[in-house]
Amino acid sequence: MSSPMPLLSKSMTDSWRSTLGWAAGLCGAILLYLPLYPSIGGGTQMQQMINALPAEMTKALNYEQIATGPGYVQATVFGLYGYLLMTIATVAWGAAAVAGDEEAGQLELTLAHGVTRAQVVFERALGIALRILVLSILVFVLVMALNGPSQLQIDAGKLAGTMALFAGLALLSGTTALLVGALTGRKAYALGAGAGIAVLGYLFNALGKQSNSTEWLLNLSPYHWAYGNSPLLNGVEISAAWGLPAISACLVLAAVVALRNRDVGN
Amino acid sequence: MSTEVTSIESDLAVVDVRGLRKSFGRREVLHGIDFSVPAGSVFGVIGPNGAGKTTTMRCLLDIIRPSGGSIRVLGRDPRTAGPALRRRIGYLPGELFLEGRVTGRRMLEHYAAISGPVRPGRIEELAERLDLDLGRHARKLSKGNKQKLGLIQAFMHEPELLVLDEPTSGLDPLVQQEFLAMVREAQAAGTTVFLSSHMLSEIQQAADEVAILRDGNIVTVSTVDALRESAVRTVRFTAAESPSDVHAALSMVPGIRDVSFQEISPAQPLGPGFAVEVSAKLEGAGVGSLVRALARLDLVELVIEEADLEESVLTLYEAVPVETTIINTPARRSIRKVRSHV
Repeated sequence: MSSPMPLLSKSMTDSWRSTLGWAAGLCGAILLYLPLYPSIGGGTQMQQMINALPAEMTKALNYEQIATGPGYVQATVFGLYGYLLMTIATVAWGAAAVAGDEEAGQLELTLAHGVTRAQVVFERALGIALRILVLSILVFVLVMALNGPSQLQIDAGKLAGTMALFAGLALLSGTTALLVGALTGRKAYALGAGAGIAVLGYLFNALGKQSNSTEWLLNLSPYHWAYGNSPLLNGVEISAAWGLPAISACLVLAAVVALRNRDVGN
Repeated sequence: MSTEVTSIESDLAVVDVRGLRKSFGRREVLHGIDFSVPAGSVFGVIGPNGAGKTTTMRCLLDIIRPSGGSIRVLGRDPRTAGPALRRRIGYLPGELFLEGRVTGRRMLEHYAAISGPVRPGRIEELAERLDLDLGRHARKLSKGNKQKLGLIQAFMHEPELLVLDEPTSGLDPLVQQEFLAMVREAQAAGTTVFLSSHMLSEIQQAADEVAILRDGNIVTVSTVDALRESAVRTVRFTAAESPSDVHAALSMVPGIRDVSFQEISPAQPLGPGFAVEVSAKLEGAGVGSLVRALARLDLVELVIEEADLEESVLTLYEAVPVETTIINTPARRSIRKVRSHV
């Protein structure tokens, strides 16, 4: 009862079911894709097929290095299915944290108790971060477990670094949804903003890689900040690993300011 | 620092509201209201839906922020006093939305964790009084049972001030009586209670003072006794007199109106001569002069009904200068509708 962070522990106990669901989804994606690598990704057949594809498509799908173990995991898990699942999960959590709670009419009663608005935003943001951490650790453990059997030849250190980027991207989408929810009180806007960051990041990365004239788009793509250097192959750029959480922290601070300065519930 | 200077009167007030204005966009819903709730009293605010009751209460809890005016709650400004002030308040929102996926007990434990300390056994004690099963999930509870959960979370930490927005909504009459008992006990223990309703009957039984709010203005603040004094009573009597004699006698009574006569045929066994059945309305404190006037008549039967406060409130609604009849009509209609439920 005397939890030091009552809203955080509430947010964790309320969300364990949904966290479990997303964990199952991530497990499914990983268990489906990684064991296939030795038969399709590792063979010369796969490389031939990739070579036959239009170069633009290969770039857009991040398939340039798909014939290597790290490239395959990067393109399938971190770059696509894992990214998709994590984005949906965190955007939903971020939108629910303030806007969803407010639209459901429950934020009013919480705020009428002995908590500050800053506390509500911080503890719920922390709850989202913890859940992202749990899911990221799960992905790390699963990929490491399949590393040998699937002949992926992934370096544990580089995987850990990539996990940080994977988590950072998810956190960015989640905190964007949180901020827009805190600003507007509308769940739909929050979902749109969080998903928008993720989708635009992906699109800008795909388009930016197409030609020199569109290259500038890469600078606007969080997806490219994180994965542009193929971290699972080449190691992580520290600036990206710290940059994403730092931006998320700023978004959370902005959410606190936004929520503190408006009426709730109308 | 002139705002820190408070009169002796407002020092004793647990809630002190001066010139409170609130606009949502360009629509102003509170037009500068003043009232103060004395410590230890039960203060009711009544008015039709949309009058501004909920807006006023949300301002007290810092859920929404005033556009103008000043608010003091337990001597502090809710805008700056923070969680420490809200821990001293128990709040029941007008529209209660509870999350459905946890049991009532878990939900109350959470609210206990973010409000003032709750004495062990207190939650069970309140649940037993209100006859609520805490082991059920909130989504499976009826509206009335959800309202009980809302009441328990407001009462459980024994706050200094209770702010209850439409507290009896959805409760059956037996539980309403239990609720009134809880309010009286809280008051006896020194709690100040600020409650709203569009039903006068519950304010009438619980409140010492009543503010009547309409379209964002306070029409009047009055004690329930004063309201009762100004209230309208229905008078019915049968007298073995001629209508003109009865009329002459009643014409001396101040506040009598709507007099109607019905002559009873002499064939009925009322003795010799005329008999009339009379019904009338008596407004104000004229019971004494009515009785004196009636004493001169040969009365067969007399009934003076208890004052109907709803009717007197209706009079107050109507007494206000009305900008347009369109505004006035919904107010009256909602009151009438409530009466038909009671």
